[in-house]
Amino acid sequence: MVKADREDPDPRSTIHTSGHNPPPSTMFSTRLGLSPLLHSSKQASSALSRLAIPTTTSTPLRLTLPSATPRRFCSSHTVVDDKDRKKDITMYLQETHDKVFENNKSWAAEQVAKDPDFFKKLAAGQNPEYLWIGCSDSRIPAEQITGLQPGDAFVHRNIANLVCNTDLNVMSVIEYAVKHLKVKHIVVCGHYGCGGVKAAMTPKDLGLMNPWLRNIRDVYRLHEKELDAIADEEARYDRLVELNVYEQCRNVVKTAALQQSYAENGFPVIHGWVFNFRDGLLTDLNVDFKTILKDIQKIYNLTD
Amino acid sequence: MSSDNTFHYALSSNNAWAGYKAHQNPQFFPKLAGGQSPEILWIGCSDSRCPETTILGMQPGDVFVHRNIANIVSPTDINTTAVIEYAVAHLKVKHVVLCGHSACGGAAGALPDTRVGGVLDTWLLPLKTLRFNHAEELDAITDEKERIVRLAQLNVEAGIKVLMNNATIREAIAERGLEVHGVFFDIGCGRIKELGCGTAHAGKGDHVVRGKHGQLVFGQDGEAEIAAAQ
Repeated sequence: MVKADREDPDPRSTIHTSGHNPPPSTMFSTRLGLSPLLHSSKQASSALSRLAIPTTTSTPLRLTLPSATPRRFCSSHTVVDDKDRKKDITMYLQETHDKVFENNKSWAAEQVAKDPDFFKKLAAGQNPEYLWIGCSDSRIPAEQITGLQPGDAFVHRNIANLVCNTDLNVMSVIEYAVKHLKVKHIVVCGHYGCGGVKAAMTPKDLGLMNPWLRNIRDVYRLHEKELDAIADEEARYDRLVELNVYEQCRNVVKTAALQQSYAENGFPVIHGWVFNFRDGLLTDLNVDFKTILKDIQKIYNLTD
Repeated sequence: MSSDNTFHYALSSNNAWAGYKAHQNPQFFPKLAGGQSPEILWIGCSDSRCPETTILGMQPGDVFVHRNIANIVSPTDINTTAVIEYAVAHLKVKHVVLCGHSACGGAAGALPDTRVGGVLDTWLLPLKTLRFNHAEELDAITDEKERIVRLAQLNVEAGIKVLMNNATIREAIAERGLEVHGVFFDIGCGRIKELGCGTAHAGKGDHVVRGKHGQLVFGQDGEAEIAAAQ
């Protein structure tokens, strides 16, 4: 079963490893937070004002844009010469683009300095232990928050970390990871403050995203009683995030690839994790994989 | 590293990372919790050797990510479509980057006439179609690794065409100058290069991007050269 109380995380997640070297980068950008899916039209129109303006540019590779530039082009109240405005946008886009390539070059050089054969080894092939199914949200880069290196985790990221039966995209990922790469762990990682989950709690037409978000609404319906009994909206939202992870774990267990590999090899095993932005920590929901598998196989047994 | 060790490593390493980040900047997590405003939507391969945020030298909050088998952009795939819709229409990212890579297992699987098996054959169908349409060019390449690279590059070009015709992306290009880029990650050296497709290269020759510390010149062959700032 899902361990509901995230204030009491799995003890494994609180062990420090002395051998781990934290990432060296100190890059940081000021950001104005918004809950994107729930923009009012006024909020949406001001979305451009959320341009990242680096404040502590401790790395020389991060390009700093004069802070006036993005504000000028965002503000609908400032009268700006159209030509100038276009020039500003073009310059801004070039510099943000440029930044990526410069960062990449320095990253590649750094890896070679540490291990001259780093990329040769990588090019030889991948043998990841993990399949990570996470949210597309920019704040959860799987490798950085777990300290895993390139080559360690096969990654699929979509809106709200969903595993849908008829989605060939995620089903191909699972099949490839399990059958061909023979991963040992599959992690479904959700996060508190998920825009997709929040949107699904709001009865509203979201156009193209309806068919996708519908799957989270179904999770709500499955656990309607429990969720509606939670008076505090924030707590209810957090709980839906956890229940969504739990249901997506079940969906992974329902696949033929997982069931057959587990019967044959004893792996992979499934884990449900939740990432918390407030402290940057992962919590293991201690999904009871074996019980889920047993329960599910009454109807969904695909091992024969 | 045994599989159990990797599992414990990831969880405990997260703890160390969170402690380090919070120590470095006490506002780091409170600000992250406030919301996201990424400038880049990255569509890349699930391959474990292509961790986008790491290879771009960026930080949590910088890159919105979709990764699938062989970075295929299938026009009717609702998974990718939902990601694009959310990133472009709601988060209003400024760049859409489609990244292919060398030694791609998906491209390798699509080259021979044999079946991969299961749902993968259906998912890889766009790659199979490319292989069919470019059979002459691909068959002329004697080195198998190079043939895989070429198919993976053709796949990025095909994906860019799908992206450039996506209604939401078209509107964003017209209304606010959204940029679409097709790039290629060479796992053998860790470098990314532009493939010369997408918005930045539409109808242009060399593309010069001036930065603070130097300038990048994207030649016709897509190789990016760095030069001293002028």
